[in-house]
Amino acid sequence: MIQSVEKVYMPNDNTVFIYKMTTTDGIVSDVPHDTANRHYQEILEWVAEGNTITDNGGGE
Amino acid sequence: MAVTTIPSAGLTLGAQVNFRNLIINGDMSIAQRGTSSSSITSGGYYTVDRMEHAINYGTWTLSQSTDVPTGQGFAKSAKWDCTATGTPTAGQELKFRQKIEGQFLQYLKKGTSNAESMTLSFWVKSTKTGTYIVEMRDDDNNRNICQSYTISASNTWEKKTLTFDGDTTGAYSNDNGQSLQCTWWLGAGTNFTSGTLATSWESTTNANRAVGQVNLADSTSNEWYITGVQLEVGTTASDFEFLPFDVNLQRCLRYYNKTYNLSDAPASVTSTGILDISGFSDGSNNLLFDIPHKVRMRGTPTVTYYNSGGTSGQWFYGRNGASGNSTATSYSGRTAENNLSTYVNIGASWTGGFVAGHYTLDAEL
Repeated sequence: MIQSVEKVYMPNDNTVFIYKMTTTDGIVSDVPHDTANRHYQEILEWVAEGNTITDNGGGE
Repeated sequence: MAVTTIPSAGLTLGAQVNFRNLIINGDMSIAQRGTSSSSITSGGYYTVDRMEHAINYGTWTLSQSTDVPTGQGFAKSAKWDCTATGTPTAGQELKFRQKIEGQFLQYLKKGTSNAESMTLSFWVKSTKTGTYIVEMRDDDNNRNICQSYTISASNTWEKKTLTFDGDTTGAYSNDNGQSLQCTWWLGAGTNFTSGTLATSWESTTNANRAVGQVNLADSTSNEWYITGVQLEVGTTASDFEFLPFDVNLQRCLRYYNKTYNLSDAPASVTSTGILDISGFSDGSNNLLFDIPHKVRMRGTPTVTYYNSGGTSGQWFYGRNGASGNSTATSYSGRTAENNLSTYVNIGASWTGGFVAGHYTLDAEL
């Protein structure tokens, strides 16, 4: 079960990112922006349920 | 199989002699994620590789068991143990399944006039007797076919064989996506049981998918075991094709792998198998490194990093003047089906440094 998701931009490139997904058991995983990835599909479903991905923008 | 005599008419071999089992890890021998998970109330991959648990009611302990049918050559089985009962609401379900890539299914010739039948064989044991449903679901074309089987004797290993007709409608996509689900239903709400069981291929109607299915969650005495799963082309079941352990493991690595010893579950507190890596600075305080995957994965994996203390998202680092734990991140656009690219922020102005930790890679369907 997803608890939170944060969009993390790559160093020196604010156009490329992964999703830091934290599940309710406290596990943090890096999920690619790829529709063939099952965790990305779960994130899309989680967003469709009304949840929001944290996006602090690219920083470096 | 050793050939000792060649008939005068020559040898006739079936289309698929070796690697004829479409199910990976059918003997339940590989369990990289761990051998037991308790208090489970939601779906996921928990124990034996490639087998997914779809759960939205009841509470379960899921494990890799050594309870196996006697004298059949199996050493492990997958086990469901109900620890809190549940009655399904209309849309709830319990399922055990494996999802199969379309590119592995092309020789079934689905969607053509030469579509092949499939035969599923497996050993099963349960304290809950009655009718159970197995479903083959074509995710590319939203079609399915089901067969029922009966567990007639409580707590007794039984071998079941079910044949599913070929389907002349709807081809499987020839790619690495999810095309076929082979599913053992273990409980279902009325949304899945109120129709007529789909014993021929049809466009999926939920009401026809699990008609007659017993509820494995109706007693905390209920257990369900399975092993020796084989899905093969044709209308007869051949003997289970035992693969060498290492070959079986290699097939599983396409979907999931880890740095830990096989016997250590991810998040274990251990330095055994840990990676110590010296890297270069990317100019943004990060130590950057690449590691090729052990085998090419199905797709770009989800990456979970762990330090030796079992904390996820963190790796240990050391450099001139500092050490500690810091966030490890999969480098988007570089991590792919063949490579893991990682950066760890270890601070500014370092000339030499290293990082250390574990990871898991998940490219399951």
